[in-house]
Amino acid sequence: MPDALFTTITAIIMIPVAFFLSIIYLFLLRKFSARFQWRVGPVISMYADLKPLLGRSRILQPLYDILKLFGKDTVVPSVARKTLFKASPYLALACAFGAIFFIPLPGVPLLSYLDDSLVIASYLLIAAVMFTILGAASSGSPWSAIGARRESEIFLVYEIGFVVALFAAAMTYGTLSIWTIATTSSLPLLLLNPFAAVLLFLVMIGKLGIKPLDIAEAETEIVGGPYTEYSGKYLGMLQLTKGFLFYDMVGLFIVLFLAPMFGTALWIPVYIISAIVVVLFLSIVHVLHPRWKIDRAMRSYGLLIAVFAILAVIMVALALSYNWVVV
Amino acid sequence: MAATSDSAIMQYVQEVVPEGLEYKMGRENRVFVRVKPDDVDKLAERFTKKLGVRLSHASGVDLQQFGFDIIYAYDFTKYKERLQIVLEANLPRENPTINSVGKVTWQAVWAEREMKEFLGINFIGMPDPRHQFLPYEWPKNPETGISPAQNSTTYPVEAKPGEKWLPVGISPKDAISALVPIGPYHPGVIEGQTVYVKVEGEHVIDADIKTGYHHRGIQRLIERRGYNKGVFVAERVCGICSAHHGIAFVTAAENLYDAEVPERALYIRTLLAELNRVHSHILWIGVAADLIGWKTGFMLTWGLRERVMDIIEAITGNRVNYGIWRLGGVSRDVKQELAESSKRTLLALKEDLAKLLPPVADHPILKSRCIGVGTLDLATCFETGVVGPVARASNWKIDVRMDNPPHAIYDPKKISWEVITDDHRDMYGRVLVRVKELFVSMDIVVQCLDYLAKTTGEIRAKPRTIEPGTEGIGLDEAPRGELFYYMRAGGTELPEYMMPEGKHNVQGSNQPQCVRIRTPSYRNNAALPFMLKDCALADVPIIMGSIDQCQACTDRVEVIDAKTESSYSLSWDELVRMSQRKGRA
Repeated sequence: MPDALFTTITAIIMIPVAFFLSIIYLFLLRKFSARFQWRVGPVISMYADLKPLLGRSRILQPLYDILKLFGKDTVVPSVARKTLFKASPYLALACAFGAIFFIPLPGVPLLSYLDDSLVIASYLLIAAVMFTILGAASSGSPWSAIGARRESEIFLVYEIGFVVALFAAAMTYGTLSIWTIATTSSLPLLLLNPFAAVLLFLVMIGKLGIKPLDIAEAETEIVGGPYTEYSGKYLGMLQLTKGFLFYDMVGLFIVLFLAPMFGTALWIPVYIISAIVVVLFLSIVHVLHPRWKIDRAMRSYGLLIAVFAILAVIMVALALSYNWVVV
Repeated sequence: MAATSDSAIMQYVQEVVPEGLEYKMGRENRVFVRVKPDDVDKLAERFTKKLGVRLSHASGVDLQQFGFDIIYAYDFTKYKERLQIVLEANLPRENPTINSVGKVTWQAVWAEREMKEFLGINFIGMPDPRHQFLPYEWPKNPETGISPAQNSTTYPVEAKPGEKWLPVGISPKDAISALVPIGPYHPGVIEGQTVYVKVEGEHVIDADIKTGYHHRGIQRLIERRGYNKGVFVAERVCGICSAHHGIAFVTAAENLYDAEVPERALYIRTLLAELNRVHSHILWIGVAADLIGWKTGFMLTWGLRERVMDIIEAITGNRVNYGIWRLGGVSRDVKQELAESSKRTLLALKEDLAKLLPPVADHPILKSRCIGVGTLDLATCFETGVVGPVARASNWKIDVRMDNPPHAIYDPKKISWEVITDDHRDMYGRVLVRVKELFVSMDIVVQCLDYLAKTTGEIRAKPRTIEPGTEGIGLDEAPRGELFYYMRAGGTELPEYMMPEGKHNVQGSNQPQCVRIRTPSYRNNAALPFMLKDCALADVPIIMGSIDQCQACTDRVEVIDAKTESSYSLSWDELVRMSQRKGRA
């Protein structure tokens, strides 16, 4: 068990680091998608003639977009359940933000060494989405209500996959502590149980609203979905929630499936590269597909999740019975 | 383009219309029949139900002290080549009443609603008496608070109290059905219109469309400007299919006199019309991709579309409104080098599109979004009078370029091309029809460029005098469907003593007496509620997109002062002041 002081200090340092990384992930998603679509996207090095006006780089463009929202007026609809409507963004942000302390970086365990850290992290990640749905449902707008309904339907599908993927890892290593999973194995779980990795990747697509599954906030269909009535700082907070969720999910994927690099902080560059690769794969899925219809998504996506969940469980059973894991 | 009124046509017309009616032959087999107002609905029944012909358009003309002329144009190309029969009925100015054709065939409903609104004509037995372009609520009875146009029960316009969404109303129990307005401001609808959809959960059970968010008074502007300047206004009806408005206008105007257009000019017209269709269809594919949430498709197709725009710019100097249409020809020639370089660009583009589009059309998610969505069977197609790719996707082989070509080259002997139809009868059919048409249009463009590169010649003939009172019809197949222009030459009859001896006592005019435009979106929008019933809410934007709506084409509005009951148009300064006033509030 690491020193309490070390944990406190790293946790405090972790806040800006996680914030920065989530912004970078959002930037990468935008940049990759833009390049695939023959666009420029947010520029990395600003054009010389625009430098005095726009600054040296636009890597932090997602941050500027969020900060802009905090400077705008906040409107609360008169028909909304006001307490719930106002509280939901805070609670969603708190959950997504809280989860960052359970996602370790190489050499930095944070709170992930706790015995049940995997369970706590999964609960926080589920709750963040739950509060988004609650806030939307309390806004009194038909668009939000439809968005919330869609979000909760798709939520039911991917949460099953989420839980199965997490517990495939937990069962294989016989522990619920993320740090133990990250440090004890010598072989990445990606090779040992690729189906569980694909399953978590599919869950990420649903949870982060990547393209075939951005059904809940389908702009051309239902305006903004759950976010329709949110404006100003509340919308900013929900965007921030999404950013942190992005960081959490990518971090969780790496820590569970690309594990044996968490021993020392020297592995951090490898961690960053694998994060970029995960975001690249997400962007490829994002640009390749149109949006699914909700009924179709429930069927096809549900089937996909179910198949990979069963395969993942079978792989876990095989791994346990043949003792593939050397702990 | 000489008049081809032969005796066979006359004989056929005598068979079709009742005896004893006065009719006159126009040029190119357009026949104008003067009928009694009482006969209009009987003839409509005979034409549409027995003979199975299409009503192209119905409209009214205000003749001041001579009352109103109501015109019904029927498309008889099915029976005789290029035959259009136009029924004209005169109504008195005091209490104008006529039997409704809308109750016979649904395709006349929008036109009758429009006439009722603008000219105050009462249609007996009108199936849908609500306003077409004015707000439904206007004018409200000050005592009862009910507007006279609101009493229809066909399509409910306001949600009943129990139908509104309640907070935390995501369970179907709380929200049995709700009325969701899509528009006038909605990310899926770029132009202003409202589609009211009544939903149960995500299932659409009823739908209605309300137009009337644009006003430009463009028909009146053309009437005031005359033939030569009017063509430039006509082009501005629509920014995307501007070439087709130009061609339809000049076709209608050339239909008023014995026009002779040089062949080279005809080729240039076809060239630009088809280039226009190419860029319009590519644009539509992009918009449709965006509507089903596929930004990549949108970006890639619009990137390719720029090359077509470049060709158009090189030929005409403009990207949107080409401004080269003239009565009796065109104003700009296409030089040999330009034709050759354009051909090279176009062939390269064709190759890229052939690489891009087939995989797109086979994308499984795209297919799942399109197949079985917004179905429209052939009978409904006919009844609602849809035109263009929407009709062709329901396996209805109508194409004005083949049936009743405009004054351009579409002769199968000179240019090889085909009419594309599809029997999917849904959104997917509309995608396939447009993708295939795109390639057909490119073939036509290549053939035109080949001709233009090889030959030289005149591009414009001198226009001649237009006799007052002549009537003409111009048709063209715009990217969205059949475009209809009706024109009646202006002129005044002078008293004999004012004219020099021996001269005809009719004073001609350079201005048409009336111009009536019926755009394809006007028809396709009217059929929208039929497509929207029984679909999912997620499908509503793409179904609306599937007809390639063009609201600016559809709407026409006039300002009416409720207190004095006088109508007027707003001047530019007034509009600026109004926008400043409203913008400040």
